[in-house]
Amino acid sequence: MDGEKKLSRNKNVLLCVISVLFLCILLFPLYWALITSLKTEQEIFQIPPTFYPHELNLKSYAAQIEMGDFNMFRSFANSFIISVGAMVIAVLLAVPASYGIAKYRFKGRKVMLLSFLVTQMLPVSVLLTPMFIMFKNMHVYNTWWAAVLADATIGIPFSVLILKNYFASIPKDLEEAAYLDGCNRFTAFARILIPIAKPGVMVCAIFSFLYAWGDLAYGMTFILDQERRPITAGIFNFMGQYGTKWSYLTAFAVVTIIPVALIFIFMQKYIVSGMTSGAVKG
Amino acid sequence: MVKRKKIFRYDNVGILFVLPAFLYMLVFVGYPIARNIILSFQDVDAGNLVRGAKNFVLFENYIGLFQDGVFRTSLLNTLCYTVLCLFFQFVIGFALALFFNQRFSFAKPIRGLLLIPWMIPITVTALMFRLLFATDIGVLNYILRSLHLIQENVEWLTTPGTALFALVFANVWIGIPFNMILISTGLTTIPKELYESASMDGANKAKTFWHITLPLLRPTIESVLILGFIYTFKVYDLVYVMTGGGPVNSTHMLSTYSYKLSFEMFKYSKGSAVANVLLVILLIVGVFYIRVTTKEEE
Repeated sequence: MDGEKKLSRNKNVLLCVISVLFLCILLFPLYWALITSLKTEQEIFQIPPTFYPHELNLKSYAAQIEMGDFNMFRSFANSFIISVGAMVIAVLLAVPASYGIAKYRFKGRKVMLLSFLVTQMLPVSVLLTPMFIMFKNMHVYNTWWAAVLADATIGIPFSVLILKNYFASIPKDLEEAAYLDGCNRFTAFARILIPIAKPGVMVCAIFSFLYAWGDLAYGMTFILDQERRPITAGIFNFMGQYGTKWSYLTAFAVVTIIPVALIFIFMQKYIVSGMTSGAVKG
Repeated sequence: MVKRKKIFRYDNVGILFVLPAFLYMLVFVGYPIARNIILSFQDVDAGNLVRGAKNFVLFENYIGLFQDGVFRTSLLNTLCYTVLCLFFQFVIGFALALFFNQRFSFAKPIRGLLLIPWMIPITVTALMFRLLFATDIGVLNYILRSLHLIQENVEWLTTPGTALFALVFANVWIGIPFNMILISTGLTTIPKELYESASMDGANKAKTFWHITLPLLRPTIESVLILGFIYTFKVYDLVYVMTGGGPVNSTHMLSTYSYKLSFEMFKYSKGSAVANVLLVILLIVGVFYIRVTTKEEE
Protein backbone atom coordinates (compact mmCIF):
# COMPACT_ATOMS: atom_id res chain seq x y z
CA MET A 1 0.00 0.00 0.00
CA ASP A 2 2.84 2.36 0.71
CA GLY A 3 4.00 1.95 -2.85
CA GLU A 4 6.29 4.93 -3.17
CA LYS A 5 8.56 3.99 -0.33
CA LYS A 6 11.50 1.81 -1.29
CA LEU A 7 11.24 -1.57 0.35
CA SER A 8 14.11 -2.68 2.48
CA ARG A 9 16.21 -5.43 0.96
CA ASN A 10 15.10 -8.08 3.41
CA LYS A 11 11.47 -7.28 2.97
CA ASN A 12 11.87 -7.38 -0.79
CA VAL A 13 13.36 -10.87 -0.65
CA LEU A 14 10.67 -12.04 1.76
CA LEU A 15 7.87 -10.75 -0.44
CA CYS A 16 9.44 -12.33 -3.51
CA VAL A 17 9.59 -15.68 -1.77
CA ILE A 18 5.97 -15.43 -0.64
CA SER A 19 4.83 -14.47 -4.13
CA VAL A 20 6.60 -17.46 -5.65
CA LEU A 21 4.85 -19.61 -3.07
CA PHE A 22 1.46 -18.20 -4.12
CA LEU A 23 2.34 -18.89 -7.72
CA CYS A 24 3.25 -22.52 -6.98
CA ILE A 25 0.01 -23.10 -5.08
CA LEU A 26 -2.19 -21.50 -7.70
CA LEU A 27 -0.57 -23.14 -10.68
CA PHE A 28 -0.30 -26.55 -9.04
CA PRO A 29 -3.35 -27.99 -10.87
CA LEU A 30 -1.64 -27.18 -14.18
CA TYR A 31 1.65 -28.67 -13.11
CA TRP A 32 -0.15 -31.78 -11.95
CA ALA A 33 -1.93 -32.22 -15.28
CA LEU A 34 1.33 -31.74 -17.15
CA ILE A 35 3.31 -34.33 -15.17
CA THR A 36 0.41 -36.77 -15.22
CA SER A 37 0.49 -36.66 -19.01
CA LEU A 38 4.17 -37.62 -18.87
CA LYS A 39 3.76 -40.52 -16.47
CA THR A 40 3.05 -44.15 -17.25
CA GLU A 41 -0.44 -45.41 -16.34
CA GLN A 42 1.19 -47.51 -13.64
CA GLU A 43 2.93 -44.56 -12.08
CA ILE A 44 -0.27 -42.52 -12.09
CA PHE A 45 -1.97 -45.13 -9.92
CA GLN A 46 0.99 -45.44 -7.59
CA ILE A 47 0.46 -44.61 -3.91
CA PRO A 48 2.00 -42.42 -2.61
CA PRO A 49 1.83 -40.36 -5.79
CA THR A 50 5.05 -39.17 -7.41
CA PHE A 51 5.50 -35.41 -7.70
CA TYR A 52 7.49 -35.64 -10.92
CA PRO A 53 7.54 -38.44 -13.50
CA HIS A 54 10.15 -40.98 -12.44
CA GLU A 55 9.92 -42.65 -15.79
CA LEU A 56 9.32 -40.26 -18.68
CA ASN A 57 6.51 -41.51 -20.89
CA LEU A 58 5.62 -39.76 -24.14
CA LYS A 59 3.34 -42.52 -25.38
CA SER A 60 0.19 -40.63 -24.40
CA TYR A 61 1.05 -38.05 -27.01
CA ALA A 62 2.32 -40.46 -29.63
CA ALA A 63 -0.73 -42.73 -29.28
CA GLN A 64 -3.00 -39.90 -30.36
CA ILE A 65 -1.56 -39.87 -33.83
CA GLU A 66 -2.57 -43.46 -34.43
CA MET A 67 -5.95 -43.41 -32.73
CA GLY A 68 -8.68 -43.08 -35.32
CA ASP A 69 -11.64 -42.12 -33.20
CA PHE A 70 -10.16 -39.59 -30.86
CA ASN A 71 -7.36 -38.10 -32.80
CA MET A 72 -6.49 -35.03 -30.81
CA PHE A 73 -4.52 -33.44 -33.60
CA ARG A 74 -7.54 -33.52 -35.84
CA SER A 75 -9.66 -32.03 -33.06
CA PHE A 76 -6.96 -29.44 -32.60
CA ALA A 77 -7.15 -28.49 -36.27
CA ASN A 78 -10.97 -28.31 -36.04
CA SER A 79 -10.77 -26.02 -33.05
CA PHE A 80 -8.23 -23.90 -34.82
CA ILE A 81 -10.35 -23.50 -37.93
CA ILE A 82 -13.47 -22.73 -35.89
CA SER A 83 -11.70 -20.23 -33.65
CA VAL A 84 -10.00 -18.41 -36.51
CA GLY A 85 -13.30 -18.29 -38.38
CA ALA A 86 -15.14 -16.85 -35.40
CA MET A 87 -12.31 -14.39 -34.82
CA VAL A 88 -12.38 -13.14 -38.41
CA ILE A 89 -16.15 -12.61 -38.37
CA ALA A 90 -16.03 -10.89 -34.99
CA VAL A 91 -13.23 -8.51 -35.94
CA LEU A 92 -14.61 -7.70 -39.38
CA LEU A 93 -17.99 -6.79 -37.96
CA ALA A 94 -16.91 -5.24 -34.68
CA VAL A 95 -14.26 -2.86 -35.99
CA PRO A 96 -16.63 -0.73 -38.11
CA ALA A 97 -19.46 -1.08 -35.58
CA SER A 98 -17.37 0.23 -32.71
CA TYR A 99 -16.17 3.10 -34.87
CA GLY A 100 -19.74 4.03 -35.76
CA ILE A 101 -20.81 3.95 -32.13
CA ALA A 102 -17.80 5.94 -30.95
CA LYS A 103 -17.81 8.69 -33.56
CA TYR A 104 -21.39 9.23 -34.69
CA ARG A 105 -24.50 10.28 -32.79
CA PHE A 106 -27.18 8.69 -34.94
CA LYS A 107 -30.70 7.68 -34.02
CA GLY A 108 -30.88 4.33 -32.29
CA ARG A 109 -27.26 4.48 -31.17
CA LYS A 110 -28.17 3.99 -27.52
CA VAL A 111 -30.41 1.04 -28.28
CA MET A 112 -27.70 -0.65 -30.29
CA LEU A 113 -25.07 -0.05 -27.66
CA LEU A 114 -27.40 -1.41 -25.02
CA SER A 115 -28.14 -4.51 -27.05
CA PHE A 116 -24.42 -5.27 -27.33
CA LEU A 117 -24.13 -4.90 -23.57
CA VAL A 118 -27.04 -7.23 -22.95
CA THR A 119 -25.91 -9.94 -25.35
CA GLN A 120 -22.63 -10.08 -23.50
CA MET A 121 -24.28 -11.49 -20.44
CA LEU A 122 -26.62 -14.02 -22.01
CA PRO A 123 -26.36 -17.63 -20.92
CA VAL A 124 -25.71 -20.15 -23.70
CA SER A 125 -28.69 -22.18 -22.52
CA VAL A 126 -31.09 -19.58 -23.89
CA LEU A 127 -29.61 -19.77 -27.36
CA LEU A 128 -28.82 -23.46 -27.78
CA THR A 129 -32.17 -24.91 -28.83
CA PRO A 130 -33.26 -22.07 -31.17
CA MET A 131 -29.79 -21.99 -32.76
CA PHE A 132 -29.96 -25.75 -33.15
CA ILE A 133 -33.25 -25.44 -35.07
CA MET A 134 -31.90 -22.54 -37.09
CA PHE A 135 -28.69 -24.29 -38.10
CA LYS A 136 -30.66 -27.36 -39.12
CA ASN A 137 -32.83 -25.22 -41.36
CA MET A 138 -29.80 -23.40 -42.75
CA HIS A 139 -28.18 -26.77 -43.48
CA VAL A 140 -25.04 -25.88 -41.56
CA TYR A 141 -25.78 -28.21 -38.65
CA ASN A 142 -22.93 -30.66 -38.14
CA THR A 143 -20.42 -28.48 -39.99
CA TRP A 144 -17.71 -26.12 -38.76
CA TRP A 145 -19.91 -23.24 -39.85
CA ALA A 146 -22.43 -23.85 -37.09
CA ALA A 147 -19.78 -23.45 -34.42
CA VAL A 148 -18.13 -20.52 -36.20
CA LEU A 149 -21.38 -18.58 -36.51
CA ALA A 150 -22.34 -19.29 -32.90
CA ASP A 151 -18.91 -18.54 -31.44
CA ALA A 152 -18.73 -15.19 -33.24
CA THR A 153 -21.73 -14.04 -31.19
CA ILE A 154 -19.49 -14.10 -28.11
CA GLY A 155 -16.67 -12.16 -29.73
CA ILE A 156 -18.71 -9.43 -31.42
CA PRO A 157 -20.30 -7.67 -28.42
CA PHE A 158 -17.08 -7.95 -26.43
CA SER A 159 -15.05 -6.45 -29.28
CA VAL A 160 -17.51 -3.65 -29.96
CA LEU A 161 -17.48 -2.54 -26.34
CA ILE A 162 -13.70 -2.65 -26.08
CA LEU A 163 -12.92 -0.98 -29.40
CA LYS A 164 -15.47 1.77 -28.97
CA ASN A 165 -13.25 3.21 -26.24
CA TYR A 166 -10.20 3.08 -28.49
CA PHE A 167 -11.94 4.94 -31.29
CA ALA A 168 -13.50 7.44 -28.91
CA SER A 169 -10.03 8.37 -27.63
CA ILE A 170 -8.73 9.28 -31.10
CA PRO A 171 -8.92 13.07 -31.50
CA LYS A 172 -11.29 14.38 -34.13
CA ASP A 173 -8.53 16.59 -35.60
CA LEU A 174 -6.81 13.55 -37.04
CA GLU A 175 -9.91 12.55 -38.88
CA GLU A 176 -10.52 16.08 -40.14
CA ALA A 177 -6.96 16.32 -41.41
CA ALA A 178 -7.56 13.15 -43.38
CA TYR A 179 -10.68 14.64 -44.96
CA LEU A 180 -8.72 17.73 -45.99
CA ASP A 181 -6.17 15.44 -47.59
CA GLY A 182 -8.90 14.05 -49.76
CA CYS A 183 -10.06 11.02 -47.82
CA ASN A 184 -13.75 10.30 -47.58
CA ARG A 185 -15.00 8.91 -44.31
CA PHE A 186 -14.58 5.31 -45.38
CA THR A 187 -11.01 5.68 -46.56
CA ALA A 188 -10.19 7.80 -43.51
CA PHE A 189 -11.53 5.02 -41.34
CA ALA A 190 -9.55 2.37 -43.15
CA ARG A 191 -6.24 4.23 -43.59
CA ILE A 192 -6.02 6.47 -40.56
CA LEU A 193 -8.23 5.23 -37.74
CA ILE A 194 -7.82 1.47 -37.89
CA PRO A 195 -4.00 1.65 -37.78
CA ILE A 196 -4.22 3.88 -34.69
CA ALA A 197 -6.65 1.55 -32.97
CA LYS A 198 -4.50 -1.46 -33.77
CA PRO A 199 -3.76 -2.46 -30.17
CA GLY A 200 -7.50 -2.52 -29.53
CA VAL A 201 -8.06 -4.63 -32.62
CA MET A 202 -5.43 -7.05 -31.32
CA VAL A 203 -7.23 -7.35 -27.99
CA CYS A 204 -10.47 -8.12 -29.80
CA ALA A 205 -8.88 -10.67 -32.10
CA ILE A 206 -7.18 -12.43 -29.20
CA PHE A 207 -10.27 -12.58 -27.02
CA SER A 208 -12.55 -13.63 -29.86
CA PHE A 209 -10.14 -16.43 -30.61
CA LEU A 210 -9.88 -17.45 -26.96
CA TYR A 211 -13.63 -17.43 -26.41
CA ALA A 212 -14.12 -19.70 -29.39
CA TRP A 213 -11.19 -21.90 -28.39
CA GLY A 214 -12.66 -22.44 -24.93
CA ASP A 215 -16.20 -23.05 -26.10
CA LEU A 216 -17.73 -26.42 -25.36
CA ALA A 217 -21.50 -25.95 -25.53
CA TYR A 218 -21.77 -24.80 -29.14
CA GLY A 219 -19.19 -27.16 -30.58
CA MET A 220 -20.71 -30.11 -28.79
CA THR A 221 -24.33 -29.30 -29.57
CA PHE A 222 -24.09 -28.20 -33.18
CA ILE A 223 -21.49 -30.65 -34.43
CA LEU A 224 -22.30 -34.31 -34.17
CA ASP A 225 -19.39 -36.06 -35.87
CA GLN A 226 -16.28 -36.49 -33.81
CA GLU A 227 -14.19 -35.82 -36.91
CA ARG A 228 -15.41 -32.25 -37.09
CA ARG A 229 -15.77 -31.45 -33.42
CA PRO A 230 -13.51 -29.00 -31.60
CA ILE A 231 -10.92 -30.24 -29.14
CA THR A 232 -12.97 -29.34 -26.05
CA ALA A 233 -15.79 -31.58 -27.22
CA GLY A 234 -13.15 -34.20 -28.03
CA ILE A 235 -11.93 -34.16 -24.44
CA PHE A 236 -15.46 -34.43 -23.17
CA ASN A 237 -16.22 -37.43 -25.38
CA PHE A 238 -12.98 -39.08 -24.47
CA MET A 239 -13.72 -38.59 -20.79
CA GLY A 240 -17.06 -40.30 -21.18
CA GLN A 241 -15.53 -43.33 -22.85
CA TYR A 242 -12.15 -43.71 -21.18
CA GLY A 243 -12.87 -41.93 -17.91
CA THR A 244 -9.82 -43.15 -16.03
CA LYS A 245 -7.23 -43.16 -18.78
CA TRP A 246 -5.64 -40.16 -17.14
CA SER A 247 -2.39 -40.13 -19.11
CA TYR A 248 -4.32 -39.72 -22.37
CA LEU A 249 -6.80 -37.28 -20.89
CA THR A 250 -4.15 -35.00 -19.48
CA ALA A 251 -2.16 -35.16 -22.73
CA PHE A 252 -5.33 -33.97 -24.44
CA ALA A 253 -5.58 -31.15 -21.89
CA VAL A 254 -1.96 -30.09 -22.35
CA VAL A 255 -2.34 -29.91 -26.12
CA THR A 256 -5.48 -27.80 -25.70
CA ILE A 257 -3.58 -25.35 -23.53
CA ILE A 258 -0.69 -24.86 -26.00
CA PRO A 259 -2.24 -22.05 -28.08
CA VAL A 260 -3.45 -20.34 -24.92
CA ALA A 261 0.03 -20.54 -23.46
CA LEU A 262 1.58 -19.13 -26.63
CA ILE A 263 -0.86 -16.24 -26.68
CA PHE A 264 -0.12 -15.63 -23.03
CA ILE A 265 3.64 -15.61 -23.51
CA PHE A 266 3.70 -13.33 -26.53
CA MET A 267 0.71 -11.09 -25.97
CA GLN A 268 0.32 -10.71 -22.25
CA LYS A 269 -0.21 -6.96 -22.31
CA TYR A 270 -3.27 -7.38 -24.52
CA ILE A 271 -4.71 -9.94 -22.12
CA VAL A 272 -4.49 -7.60 -19.17
CA SER A 273 -6.03 -4.79 -21.16
CA GLY A 274 -8.88 -7.04 -22.32
CA MET A 275 -9.59 -8.37 -18.84
CA THR A 276 -9.72 -4.95 -17.25
CA SER A 277 -12.05 -3.35 -19.75
CA GLY A 278 -15.12 -4.91 -18.25
CA ALA A 279 -15.36 -8.25 -19.94
CA VAL A 280 -17.73 -11.01 -19.04
CA LYS A 281 -16.30 -14.35 -19.91
CA GLY A 282 -18.47 -16.14 -22.47
CA MET B 1 -14.62 24.05 -46.00
CA VAL B 2 -17.97 23.47 -47.66
CA LYS B 3 -17.04 19.88 -48.18
CA ARG B 4 -16.14 19.40 -44.54
CA LYS B 5 -19.43 20.77 -43.36
CA LYS B 6 -21.33 18.36 -45.52
CA ILE B 7 -19.43 15.41 -44.21
CA PHE B 8 -20.08 16.16 -40.59
CA ARG B 9 -23.74 17.02 -40.98
CA TYR B 10 -24.95 13.54 -41.65
CA ASP B 11 -24.37 11.84 -38.35
CA ASN B 12 -26.71 9.15 -39.47
CA VAL B 13 -24.10 7.71 -41.85
CA GLY B 14 -22.65 6.18 -38.68
CA ILE B 15 -25.43 3.66 -38.66
CA LEU B 16 -24.00 2.07 -41.79
CA PHE B 17 -20.91 1.10 -39.84
CA VAL B 18 -22.88 -0.45 -37.02
CA LEU B 19 -25.58 -2.16 -39.03
CA PRO B 20 -23.69 -5.29 -40.16
CA ALA B 21 -22.70 -6.26 -36.62
CA PHE B 22 -26.11 -5.33 -35.28
CA LEU B 23 -27.94 -7.39 -37.89
CA TYR B 24 -25.65 -10.33 -37.26
CA MET B 25 -26.48 -10.22 -33.57
CA LEU B 26 -30.16 -9.75 -34.35
CA VAL B 27 -30.22 -12.88 -36.49
CA PHE B 28 -28.03 -15.10 -34.35
CA VAL B 29 -28.93 -13.86 -30.87
CA GLY B 30 -32.05 -11.68 -31.00
CA TYR B 31 -34.12 -14.10 -33.00
CA PRO B 32 -33.07 -17.14 -30.92
CA ILE B 33 -34.08 -15.36 -27.71
CA ALA B 34 -37.52 -14.63 -29.12
CA ARG B 35 -37.77 -18.16 -30.41
CA ASN B 36 -36.77 -19.53 -27.04
CA ILE B 37 -39.51 -17.59 -25.31
CA ILE B 38 -42.10 -18.89 -27.75
CA LEU B 39 -40.73 -22.40 -27.37
CA SER B 40 -41.23 -22.27 -23.62
CA PHE B 41 -44.96 -21.69 -24.13
CA GLN B 42 -45.29 -24.60 -26.52
CA ASP B 43 -45.06 -28.33 -26.22
CA VAL B 44 -42.10 -29.33 -28.32
CA ASP B 45 -40.15 -32.57 -28.26
CA ALA B 46 -37.90 -34.46 -30.63
CA GLY B 47 -40.88 -35.27 -32.88
CA ASN B 48 -41.92 -31.75 -33.78
CA LEU B 49 -38.78 -29.70 -33.15
CA VAL B 50 -37.73 -28.80 -36.67
CA ARG B 51 -40.98 -29.43 -38.48
CA GLY B 52 -44.52 -30.27 -37.51
CA ALA B 53 -47.31 -28.67 -35.54
CA LYS B 54 -46.52 -27.15 -32.21
CA ASN B 55 -49.22 -26.80 -29.58
CA PHE B 56 -49.37 -23.83 -27.33
CA VAL B 57 -49.66 -24.83 -23.71
CA LEU B 58 -49.21 -21.37 -22.20
CA PHE B 59 -47.72 -21.53 -18.73
CA GLU B 60 -47.84 -25.29 -18.34
CA ASN B 61 -44.08 -25.67 -18.67
CA TYR B 62 -43.41 -23.02 -16.06
CA ILE B 63 -46.00 -24.38 -13.64
CA GLY B 64 -44.51 -27.81 -14.14
CA LEU B 65 -41.08 -26.49 -13.16
CA PHE B 66 -42.15 -25.39 -9.74
CA GLN B 67 -43.42 -28.86 -8.98
CA ASP B 68 -40.17 -30.32 -10.23
CA GLY B 69 -37.76 -31.23 -7.44
CA VAL B 70 -34.70 -31.14 -9.69
CA PHE B 71 -35.57 -27.64 -10.84
CA ARG B 72 -35.83 -26.40 -7.26
CA THR B 73 -32.52 -28.06 -6.45
CA SER B 74 -30.84 -26.46 -9.46
CA LEU B 75 -32.18 -23.04 -8.59
CA LEU B 76 -30.96 -23.37 -5.04
CA ASN B 77 -27.61 -24.81 -6.19
CA THR B 78 -27.05 -21.98 -8.63
CA LEU B 79 -27.70 -19.41 -5.92
CA CYS B 80 -25.54 -21.14 -3.28
CA TYR B 81 -22.78 -21.79 -5.77
CA THR B 82 -22.76 -18.20 -7.00
CA VAL B 83 -22.72 -16.66 -3.54
CA LEU B 84 -19.97 -18.98 -2.29
CA CYS B 85 -17.82 -18.48 -5.39
CA LEU B 86 -18.25 -14.72 -5.32
CA PHE B 87 -17.32 -14.52 -1.67
CA PHE B 88 -14.14 -16.61 -1.87
CA GLN B 89 -12.82 -15.35 -5.18
CA PHE B 90 -13.45 -11.77 -4.16
CA VAL B 91 -11.74 -12.05 -0.77
CA ILE B 92 -8.77 -13.99 -2.11
CA GLY B 93 -8.53 -11.81 -5.20
CA PHE B 94 -8.65 -8.67 -3.11
CA ALA B 95 -5.97 -9.94 -0.73
CA LEU B 96 -3.71 -10.84 -3.63
CA ALA B 97 -4.28 -7.47 -5.27
CA LEU B 98 -3.20 -5.72 -2.07
CA PHE B 99 -0.21 -8.01 -1.77
CA PHE B 100 0.97 -7.38 -5.32
CA ASN B 101 0.40 -3.67 -4.95
CA GLN B 102 3.60 -3.57 -2.89
CA ARG B 103 6.60 -2.78 -5.02
CA PHE B 104 8.82 -5.80 -4.70
CA SER B 105 10.91 -7.06 -7.60
CA PHE B 106 8.69 -10.01 -8.59
CA ALA B 107 5.37 -8.21 -8.18
CA LYS B 108 4.60 -7.57 -11.82
CA PRO B 109 5.83 -10.76 -13.49
CA ILE B 110 4.22 -13.04 -10.92
CA ARG B 111 0.95 -11.19 -10.94
CA GLY B 112 0.97 -11.64 -14.70
CA LEU B 113 1.51 -15.39 -14.39
CA LEU B 114 -1.37 -15.64 -11.94
CA LEU B 115 -3.73 -14.70 -14.77
CA ILE B 116 -3.18 -18.07 -16.41
CA PRO B 117 -6.05 -19.93 -14.64
CA TRP B 118 -8.53 -17.48 -16.08
CA MET B 119 -7.41 -18.11 -19.66
CA ILE B 120 -7.50 -21.87 -19.70
CA PRO B 121 -10.45 -23.42 -21.53
CA ILE B 122 -12.97 -24.36 -18.85
CA THR B 123 -13.27 -27.91 -20.14
CA VAL B 124 -9.58 -28.36 -19.37
CA THR B 125 -9.97 -26.77 -15.95
CA ALA B 126 -12.81 -29.16 -15.18
CA LEU B 127 -10.67 -32.09 -16.24
CA MET B 128 -7.74 -30.95 -14.08
CA PHE B 129 -9.95 -30.66 -11.03
CA ARG B 130 -11.53 -34.03 -11.68
CA LEU B 131 -8.03 -35.40 -11.48
CA LEU B 132 -7.19 -33.53 -8.27
CA PHE B 133 -10.47 -34.53 -6.63
CA ALA B 134 -10.35 -38.16 -7.83
CA THR B 135 -11.03 -40.64 -5.06
CA ASP B 136 -8.19 -43.16 -5.34
CA ILE B 137 -5.45 -41.33 -7.18
CA GLY B 138 -6.52 -37.79 -6.30
CA VAL B 139 -3.70 -35.77 -4.85
CA LEU B 140 -6.10 -33.86 -2.58
CA ASN B 141 -7.09 -37.03 -0.75
CA TYR B 142 -3.44 -37.95 -0.51
CA ILE B 143 -2.49 -34.61 1.05
CA LEU B 144 -5.40 -34.69 3.50
CA ARG B 145 -4.52 -38.25 4.51
CA SER B 146 -0.88 -37.34 5.02
CA LEU B 147 -1.94 -34.50 7.27
CA HIS B 148 -4.23 -36.93 9.13
CA LEU B 149 -7.23 -34.75 8.43
CA ILE B 150 -9.13 -37.68 6.97
CA GLN B 151 -8.81 -41.40 7.65
CA GLU B 152 -10.32 -42.70 4.44
CA ASN B 153 -10.46 -41.34 0.92
CA VAL B 154 -13.35 -38.96 0.36
CA GLU B 155 -15.43 -39.54 -2.75
CA TRP B 156 -15.52 -35.85 -3.57
CA LEU B 157 -17.33 -35.90 -6.87
CA THR B 158 -19.78 -38.68 -6.15
CA THR B 159 -21.12 -37.45 -2.81
CA PRO B 160 -23.79 -34.73 -3.07
CA GLY B 161 -22.44 -32.15 -0.59
CA THR B 162 -18.76 -32.47 -1.41
CA ALA B 163 -19.40 -32.42 -5.16
CA LEU B 164 -20.84 -28.93 -4.91
CA PHE B 165 -17.86 -27.93 -2.79
CA ALA B 166 -15.48 -29.23 -5.46
CA LEU B 167 -17.29 -27.17 -8.08
CA VAL B 168 -17.01 -24.04 -5.97
CA PHE B 169 -13.33 -24.77 -5.42
CA ALA B 170 -12.64 -25.06 -9.15
CA ASN B 171 -14.63 -21.97 -10.00
CA VAL B 172 -12.89 -19.91 -7.35
CA TRP B 173 -9.62 -20.96 -8.93
CA ILE B 174 -10.78 -19.52 -12.26
CA GLY B 175 -12.25 -16.39 -10.66
CA ILE B 176 -9.31 -15.30 -8.49
CA PRO B 177 -7.23 -13.80 -11.35
CA PHE B 178 -10.21 -11.88 -12.67
CA ASN B 179 -10.96 -10.34 -9.27
CA MET B 180 -7.30 -9.71 -8.57
CA ILE B 181 -6.53 -7.89 -11.81
CA LEU B 182 -9.61 -5.67 -11.70
CA ILE B 183 -8.99 -4.67 -8.11
CA SER B 184 -5.29 -4.14 -8.86
CA THR B 185 -6.24 -1.73 -11.60
CA GLY B 186 -8.65 0.00 -9.25
CA LEU B 187 -5.92 0.38 -6.63
CA THR B 188 -3.65 2.21 -9.03
CA THR B 189 -6.28 4.93 -9.45
CA ILE B 190 -6.15 5.91 -5.77
CA PRO B 191 -3.90 8.97 -5.39
CA LYS B 192 -0.78 8.22 -3.33
CA GLU B 193 -1.00 11.58 -1.51
CA LEU B 194 -4.08 10.34 0.31
CA TYR B 195 -2.08 7.58 1.96
CA GLU B 196 0.78 9.93 2.75
CA SER B 197 -1.40 12.49 4.48
CA ALA B 198 -3.25 9.71 6.30
CA SER B 199 -0.03 8.30 7.70
CA MET B 200 1.06 11.80 8.70
CA ASP B 201 -2.19 12.11 10.62
CA GLY B 202 -1.21 8.94 12.44
CA ALA B 203 -3.70 6.55 10.85
CA ASN B 204 -2.64 2.90 10.97
CA LYS B 205 -2.91 0.47 8.07
CA ALA B 206 -6.28 -0.94 9.07
CA LYS B 207 -7.72 2.54 9.35
CA THR B 208 -6.43 3.71 5.99
CA PHE B 209 -7.83 0.54 4.43
CA TRP B 210 -11.32 1.11 5.83
CA HIS B 211 -11.44 4.85 5.35
CA ILE B 212 -9.49 5.38 2.14
CA THR B 213 -8.99 2.19 0.12
CA LEU B 214 -12.47 0.68 0.44
CA PRO B 215 -14.55 3.82 -0.18
CA LEU B 216 -12.45 4.86 -3.17
CA LEU B 217 -12.57 1.37 -4.64
CA ARG B 218 -16.34 1.22 -4.42
CA PRO B 219 -17.03 1.57 -8.17
CA THR B 220 -14.45 -1.11 -8.93
CA ILE B 221 -15.86 -3.42 -6.28
CA GLU B 222 -19.37 -2.95 -7.60
CA SER B 223 -18.44 -3.87 -11.14
CA VAL B 224 -16.26 -6.80 -10.06
CA LEU B 225 -19.08 -8.28 -8.02
CA ILE B 226 -21.75 -7.74 -10.65
CA LEU B 227 -19.62 -9.14 -13.47
CA GLY B 228 -18.63 -12.02 -11.19
CA PHE B 229 -22.27 -12.73 -10.45
CA ILE B 230 -23.26 -12.79 -14.10
CA TYR B 231 -20.38 -14.98 -15.10
CA THR B 232 -20.79 -17.42 -12.21
CA PHE B 233 -24.56 -17.60 -12.35
CA LYS B 234 -24.63 -18.77 -15.95
CA VAL B 235 -21.92 -21.37 -15.40
CA TYR B 236 -22.33 -24.26 -17.75
CA ASP B 237 -19.25 -26.09 -18.96
CA LEU B 238 -17.48 -26.37 -15.62
CA VAL B 239 -20.40 -28.17 -14.00
CA TYR B 240 -21.29 -30.14 -17.09
CA VAL B 241 -17.79 -31.58 -17.40
CA MET B 242 -16.92 -31.96 -13.72
CA THR B 243 -20.06 -33.60 -12.38
CA GLY B 244 -22.59 -33.58 -15.21
CA GLY B 245 -25.14 -32.49 -12.62
CA GLY B 246 -24.66 -35.72 -10.65
CA PRO B 247 -24.58 -37.55 -8.35
CA VAL B 248 -28.34 -38.09 -8.66
CA ASN B 249 -29.00 -34.57 -9.98
CA SER B 250 -27.62 -33.00 -6.81
CA THR B 251 -25.23 -30.56 -8.51
CA HIS B 252 -27.39 -29.45 -11.40
CA MET B 253 -27.36 -25.73 -12.09
CA LEU B 254 -30.09 -23.99 -14.08
CA SER B 255 -27.90 -24.07 -17.17
CA THR B 256 -26.94 -27.74 -16.97
CA TYR B 257 -30.48 -28.82 -16.09
CA SER B 258 -31.78 -26.87 -19.06
CA TYR B 259 -29.24 -28.60 -21.28
CA LYS B 260 -30.16 -31.98 -19.90
CA LEU B 261 -33.89 -31.42 -20.48
CA SER B 262 -33.34 -30.21 -24.03
CA PHE B 263 -30.51 -32.29 -25.38
CA GLU B 264 -30.57 -35.48 -23.32
CA MET B 265 -34.27 -35.88 -22.59
CA PHE B 266 -35.46 -33.96 -25.70
CA LYS B 267 -38.01 -31.98 -23.69
CA TYR B 268 -37.15 -28.83 -25.57
CA SER B 269 -39.96 -26.68 -24.24
CA LYS B 270 -39.26 -27.51 -20.63
CA GLY B 271 -35.56 -26.89 -21.19
CA SER B 272 -36.34 -23.50 -22.72
CA ALA B 273 -38.49 -22.60 -19.73
CA VAL B 274 -35.58 -23.34 -17.37
CA ALA B 275 -33.26 -21.27 -19.56
CA ASN B 276 -35.71 -18.38 -19.46
CA VAL B 277 -35.82 -18.42 -15.67
CA LEU B 278 -32.04 -18.16 -15.78
CA LEU B 279 -32.31 -15.33 -18.29
CA VAL B 280 -34.76 -13.32 -16.21
CA ILE B 281 -32.55 -13.49 -13.12
CA LEU B 282 -29.51 -12.46 -15.17
CA LEU B 283 -31.39 -9.56 -16.71
CA ILE B 284 -32.38 -8.26 -13.31
CA VAL B 285 -28.74 -8.25 -12.26
CA GLY B 286 -27.89 -6.93 -15.70
CA VAL B 287 -29.77 -3.73 -14.98
CA PHE B 288 -27.21 -2.99 -12.29
CA TYR B 289 -24.42 -3.93 -14.66
CA ILE B 290 -25.67 -1.52 -17.29
CA ARG B 291 -26.07 1.20 -14.71
CA VAL B 292 -22.46 0.76 -13.57
CA THR B 293 -21.01 0.65 -17.10
CA THR B 294 -22.94 3.63 -18.38
CA LYS B 295 -21.99 5.60 -15.29
CA GLU B 296 -18.34 5.02 -16.16
CA GLU B 297 -18.98 6.29 -19.65
CA GLU B 298 -20.33 9.67 -18.67
